Amino acid sequence: MRSTTRNPVAPAGWPLETVVMTVTAPVLSDRYRSAFDTFLANRREPDAITRSRRAAFERFAMLGWPTRQQEAWRFTDLSTLQTIDLQPPADALVDATALPNLASAAHRLVFINGRFAPGLSKLAHLPEGTFIGSLNPHPNPSPSEREAEYQLDRLPGLSQHPFAALNGAFWEDGALIHLPRGTMLETPVHVIFYATGGDRAVYPRLLLTLADSAQANVVVEYHGQGRSLNAPVAELHLGDGATLAYHQLQEESAQAFHLGAIRLRQGRDSQTQLHLLSLGGQLARTDLEVLLDGEHAACLLNGLTVGRDNQAGNYYVRVDHAYPHGSSQQLFKSVLDDKARAVFDGMIHVRPHAQKTDARQSSRNLLLSKQALANSNPRLEILADDVKCGHGSSTGFLDPNAEFYLRARGIGAAQARALLVYAFANDSLNAITLTPLRERLTRLLADRLALDDRMTEELKP
Amino acid sequence: MLEIRNLHATVEGREILNGIDLTIRPGEVHAIMGPNGSGKSTLANVIAGRDGYVVTEGEIRFDGKNLLEMAPETRACEGLFLAFQYPVEIPGVANLYFLKAAVNAVRKYRNEPPVDAMDFWELIHERMELVQMADSMLKRSVNEGFSGGEKKRNEVFQMTVLQPRFAVLDETDSGLDIDALKVVADGVNALRGPERGFLVITHYQRLLDYIVPDYVHVLVNGRIVRSGDKSLALELEEQGYALYNEEPGRARRVAA
Repeated sequence: MRSTTRNPVAPAGWPLETVVMTVTAPVLSDRYRSAFDTFLANRREPDAITRSRRAAFERFAMLGWPTRQQEAWRFTDLSTLQTIDLQPPADALVDATALPNLASAAHRLVFINGRFAPGLSKLAHLPEGTFIGSLNPHPNPSPSEREAEYQLDRLPGLSQHPFAALNGAFWEDGALIHLPRGTMLETPVHVIFYATGGDRAVYPRLLLTLADSAQANVVVEYHGQGRSLNAPVAELHLGDGATLAYHQLQEESAQAFHLGAIRLRQGRDSQTQLHLLSLGGQLARTDLEVLLDGEHAACLLNGLTVGRDNQAGNYYVRVDHAYPHGSSQQLFKSVLDDKARAVFDGMIHVRPHAQKTDARQSSRNLLLSKQALANSNPRLEILADDVKCGHGSSTGFLDPNAEFYLRARGIGAAQARALLVYAFANDSLNAITLTPLRERLTRLLADRLALDDRMTEELKP
Repeated sequence: MLEIRNLHATVEGREILNGIDLTIRPGEVHAIMGPNGSGKSTLANVIAGRDGYVVTEGEIRFDGKNLLEMAPETRACEGLFLAFQYPVEIPGVANLYFLKAAVNAVRKYRNEPPVDAMDFWELIHERMELVQMADSMLKRSVNEGFSGGEKKRNEVFQMTVLQPRFAVLDETDSGLDIDALKVVADGVNALRGPERGFLVITHYQRLLDYIVPDYVHVLVNGRIVRSGDKSLALELEEQGYALYNEEPGRARRVAA
């Protein structure tokens, strides 16, 4: 059924045991099983966590390594990753100057190779009952840690995602953010996951629980150097009336593999904005699963991929409208140069009773080279009859009329093209209300698109 | 300042301009009139340097320099301006920043420092008043969601801010009501002076009531068949182009 020659993900440093194969279990998972047993034996943590690891591992054992025969992985080429002898995470020293700053006060959590780095992290005063810190489970958790840990792996969705399952089994640490009822956290939470390469497989975790009417602003960044597999899972729980602005920047090295998953569950009247910017990695894929689990829940999913060389950037999105009066907006864009590829697969699912749902989806791709490729796969499953659902998709090159218009005003050809590309992409960033972050991302985007400094200066709002 | 000699041009292999001769001196306003498809817009696009318009014979000199050898942006930096017949929408680029980028591109070409922010702001507001443009237009993306009239007004606004030495207005009056027409004319008249030249391309005489030309040329089938003063425009208004015994719209049909 699957390759038996080489185990692409099983860390080579971990002992392998001969295990009697069952007929149904893929060969691959047996090599993982021994690694998993060793991993578990070295951890001391609450039973609930151990049980959730075992469940995740069994899920992975059942799913196995994805193949391109599977619809969900048809456009994701894992063949290079499969040839890599992945190593378990290890401690590493990272200079603080290599890490980004928000240019405003923030609760800062830094993880190196998936492990909390307290020396690089910084927490300001927190409101009563709020917890922000390492998720690393220890035998004597505080009540708020215990409450939050109870939420781990409770979200439905992504059950078919092998890397999310691997994460569930092998995660070592992560960010835990818990806000009690009615807490408005004005200072943003800044979480940085840094991978140091060395072909390590890192499975960072993020667990955020906003109790009813709580509000938070979260910035999650993935950075790194060298080649590694980063397979993070973020779980976001929003109670009734909670508000979340969640920003994710993926700027890992050009050799990195990023296979992440985000699960979001929103209660009644809750509101979420998710802004996802993907710039790095040779392969970067994020699977996003949203459950609108109460009336009048609303979400904005705003994604941008900028790719060049042989980079591949994929977004797989599923929004499940489970209650009436929900609204969702998916806006996904890509700018692709050279032989870069992007995939957007977006599903809107409206359950039979979710009347008055308003669900929109738009996928727009700008190709800067004839070898670049974008796939858009919008899907609708509408089981209610009184809904507004719409989707649109466009892929194309720069408009020569627009280029000529700019040139006819004195702007040079290269600069005109850069300006048009920038305008297309920056439109996505304009939706970000966290000003210091938006300004930083705007500069990052301008640098990435090699805009002349002067032009950038003028474009700044 | 602009000398066009024996200009022949093709679009997609079809000959649209069949030997145009035209000399415009500083301070002069020339109007080009003609039926649909006579080559008016082709002439404007050839002057501005749009791709796909191939000059097969003849030349255009701008202040003695060979215009046809210049890239479109160089022509603009040399002081040439085209008010587009169909202004392009550019989502994501705010009008204000687009204009500032254009102004600074020209200044850079002339080895001048970037425009002072306060000076620029003052100029912008003065010109906005002139063309009766709302403040909100500055923050909006270039031409995005603008009505036809707003787009044309924006062209004239850009012209008054960039202050080119020579401007071509390509049917800037088409689709405008009389108030908008006056605004366009005010913009042009505000710039008129001994150093500047204008080429006003129009289908109707109406605009020329407000922008009074020094010369009027009739373009038919890619050739200037008659030239005269402003009375020629009135004559055309009364008698139409049938007088020139040419099949109207030939060039456009051929080009299509």
